[in-house]
This record gives sequence, C-alpha cells and structure tokens, in this order.
Amino acid sequence: MRMIDFHAHLDGDWLGTRLPTPAEMLADMDRENVEAACVFTVAGFYGDCRRHNDALLARANESPKRLIPFVTVDPKEGPAAVVELERCLANRRFRGVKFHPWLQAFASSMVRQTMTDILRVAATYRAPVLFHDGTPPYSTTFQVADVARWVPEATIVLGHAGLADYTDAAAQLTRDLPNLYACYCGPRPGELLHLVNVGGPDKVIFGSDFGILGWELLAERIDNVREAGLSDADLEKVLRGNAARLLRLAEEPL
Amino acid sequence: MSGERPTIIDAHVMLGEETYLSLTPDELLRRMDDAGVELAIARPMGRGLVVDHVAGNDLVLGAAPRVRALVSANPWWGTTALDELARCRDRGAVGLFLDPLRQGFMPTEAVAAPLLDRAATYGWPVMFRTGAFVNADVLALAEVARRYPQTSFIAGFGGFADMWFELPGVFASVPNLLLDGSMMWGDAIREIVRDCGASRVLFASGEPRNRYAVNLRTLDRLGLDASSRRAIQFANARRVFRV
Repeated sequence: MRMIDFHAHLDGDWLGTRLPTPAEMLADMDRENVEAACVFTVAGFYGDCRRHNDALLARANESPKRLIPFVTVDPKEGPAAVVELERCLANRRFRGVKFHPWLQAFASSMVRQTMTDILRVAATYRAPVLFHDGTPPYSTTFQVADVARWVPEATIVLGHAGLADYTDAAAQLTRDLPNLYACYCGPRPGELLHLVNVGGPDKVIFGSDFGILGWELLAERIDNVREAGLSDADLEKVLRGNAARLLRLAEEPL
Repeated sequence: MSGERPTIIDAHVMLGEETYLSLTPDELLRRMDDAGVELAIARPMGRGLVVDHVAGNDLVLGAAPRVRALVSANPWWGTTALDELARCRDRGAVGLFLDPLRQGFMPTEAVAAPLLDRAATYGWPVMFRTGAFVNADVLALAEVARRYPQTSFIAGFGGFADMWFELPGVFASVPNLLLDGSMMWGDAIREIVRDCGASRVLFASGEPRNRYAVNLRTLDRLGLDASSRRAIQFANARRVFRV
C-alpha cells in the first residue's frame, strides 16, 4: 500500500547531531514504501526562519515529487512573520505550515492576533497548518484546538494526535471541530483505534517524526498503524488518502 | 507448557478497562500465545487502579500462573492501602504499581512513603507510571529511587513521550532504576543500553496500548548481541520480579 508521511523532518543538523540528507531520507522512504513525505525544518524552530525556509526548499527540491516542504515562521515577530509566510506560500512548492510552539517558545494565545493573521493567510492558500501537540505548557492538544476555533476556514492539524496523554481529548476534538485533524505520529495502536472510532477515519493522517532519528523510527511508526487492526479502507485513508486530500494532490500534482 | 524456562517475559501489561483501553485475562493469554510470550507482568487500570483496588488487584492476581501481578493501591487510602498490599502479597503479587497521575499524588509526597516502605519490606520492585508532566515526571521518580537505594524502581512507559531527553542523565545517575520499553522508540532504548547496559531495560508490550508485534520488531531492529537480547527479553525481568 502506498503511503504519505505527513510529519517528517529535513535539515542539516540538530543540536550538533548530523541529520539525514535528502538522499538518505529517500533511501529510507524507499525501504518502507513511502511515496512522499511532508518535511519540516528543525533549526528554524530556534530562529532565522527565512534562511531555514530557503534551506528546506533547496533540500526538498532534490526530489520535488517526493519531498513536500512546509513553512515555519515565528509569530513572536508579528507582521514580519505574516510577510515571510506569504513569501513562501506564493511558491507553490510549500504546501503547508509547521509550528512547534514548545521549541519556538510561544503560546498561541500570547500571539493571538498574529497567529490569526497567519491562519487566514494559510486558509487563503488552502495550506494545512500543523502544530506539535501533546506537550504543555505551550503545545497542548487543547491549545491547538482553540486555534482551530479562531479561524474555522483554516485546516489545523494536531501534530501528534494527542501524543502520550491527550488521546481521548484529540479524538473528541477532531470529532467536534470540522477543521481539526489528527496526525497520528507517536501514539500506539491502541490509541489509533480510539482516534479513528471517535474522530472518524477521514480525520486521521499518518506521520512518523522521521528525519531526526534513524530509519527504524519510520518502520516502527508504520508498524503502529498496521498493527491497530483497521479495515483496509480505513488503513488507506490513514496512510495516504487523507494526506493526499489535505495536500490537494489531485488538483495540484507534485 | 513444557518444563523449559520462559524466553520472553513481558514486564508491563494492563488488565481491565480505562477510557478507550480494554483487556481481559483471556484475551491477554491469546495475544501472548500468538506472540510466543511465556509470562506477563500485569497491573490493573481504570477504576481498579484508582479507587477499587481490591477488584483491580483480584483481576490481575486471578490471571496466574502465566500472568503475575503488579498490584496497586491508592496511597490516599492510608492503612487500608497497606492492608491491601499485605493481602496481595499473600496471594503471590510480585511488585507494586503506582500511577501518580491517575491516583492523584506527587511521587515525592509523604503520602506515598508508607507504600514504598512496605514494598521495600517485601522486597518488591516498584513501577511508577512516567511521562506526564508534574505528577508523572521521570525526574520525580529518580528522586524517589534515590531515597530507596535497595528497591528496584521501573520507569513505567519509559517517560513516553517528551521526557526522552532526560533518560540518559537519569539512568546514569540512579543505578536502581530500570526502563520499561513498552512505549519508547528503539533509539531511546538503544541509548540506555549503550550508556548504562542491557541490565537496565525490560522488554514490555504495553498491551493493550501497544502491540506485541510492534515491540518485538523494535527489539529485533536494535541488533543486540545475544547476551543483551536475553537480558532485555527475560533475564532482567526474572531477576527483578523473581519469577
């Protein structure tokens, strides 16, 4: 079965550790039959988003049909963040936006006006916005759901579908908020069943968090999906169909 | 079963019902058979963990002999909790499980001390649920473990998910702490094995939250030497739980 990985990382290094190159990432994707991956910066979470967005684009362009870059901006910079977002989304290679409020050191409610402006721009481009979730105090599942309420026309994605402690909340919130989705990236098979049963199979998207650790993480995260006991139809949605829809691949092929 | 010793011991399984999780002893045994697991260490979840510990403990105690019991009691029950631990010891329990998040206390609070003292008296290992900030902080467990150096403590769920960066330092500085690998990814387990030795890691499934197939494949991918594999797969559990 073909797969799209909605949550992966592509960068040079992180805290002094060399990260996989595009070629290495693609080789690991081939090993696991992953067709394409949405890729995010890591170093860009700490600052100088413009430089890291450009670097990410250059890396992703080594395989434009398989590596799909997401923009990262810093909402603490106010209007400048919106300008950078527009600059990147105008380049149709960027298909989405990634935030990591924990590592980027902001609570969305503290930068509400800028975040609202950012989400409205993202909605204009129909770019999904993925937030790391599951980690207090800045990246809880509830905080991300609140953001989804601020701009109902934006597509908001819980980056880890509740992660360790927020699974039930993630399931209920994705059920109740039409524009909120859950990227299943880290939780285990027992949690996936609950997310699908409550939130619905159309709301859950596979992601691996791959690109910081070795290829084994990608394999393990795929195991999490395959061992949950989903129907073939739901499996296809989680592993590819939902991602393809959010990324508009039918309308705008890579 | 033949007279051979077990080759896979699962150090952390949950029995009962809790929110979206459910597992009965019969279903656990079926999954163990499918996966080739000879023995599992189980603890209660849900109501049986938080308030009705007699029912929860009886559920895990009654699943013997292939399932052995990590029993629990909410420390806030005071002497009633201690009486329950004594009852469970008489029925063959092999250790104590505490979930400070669900049971509503901080690991370092005085309310927990009588149960920890009793576990030390019994020679029981103590598994704490870890991974949730404030109540289930792996660093708080480390503090507790330092106070009871003769007791084996197990970081239940291995600090999953966002305490992974604390694990190397914690395990290096607290020698009586072991890792429950049921929820952690392979690289995190490999780092503990590399830095502290295979004697510090317990294979566990985390069923029904996780699956035997997932964790056994993770174990395979670690590429451990035979001695380390045996240690993690059963020898450490045999030593710690005395099974």
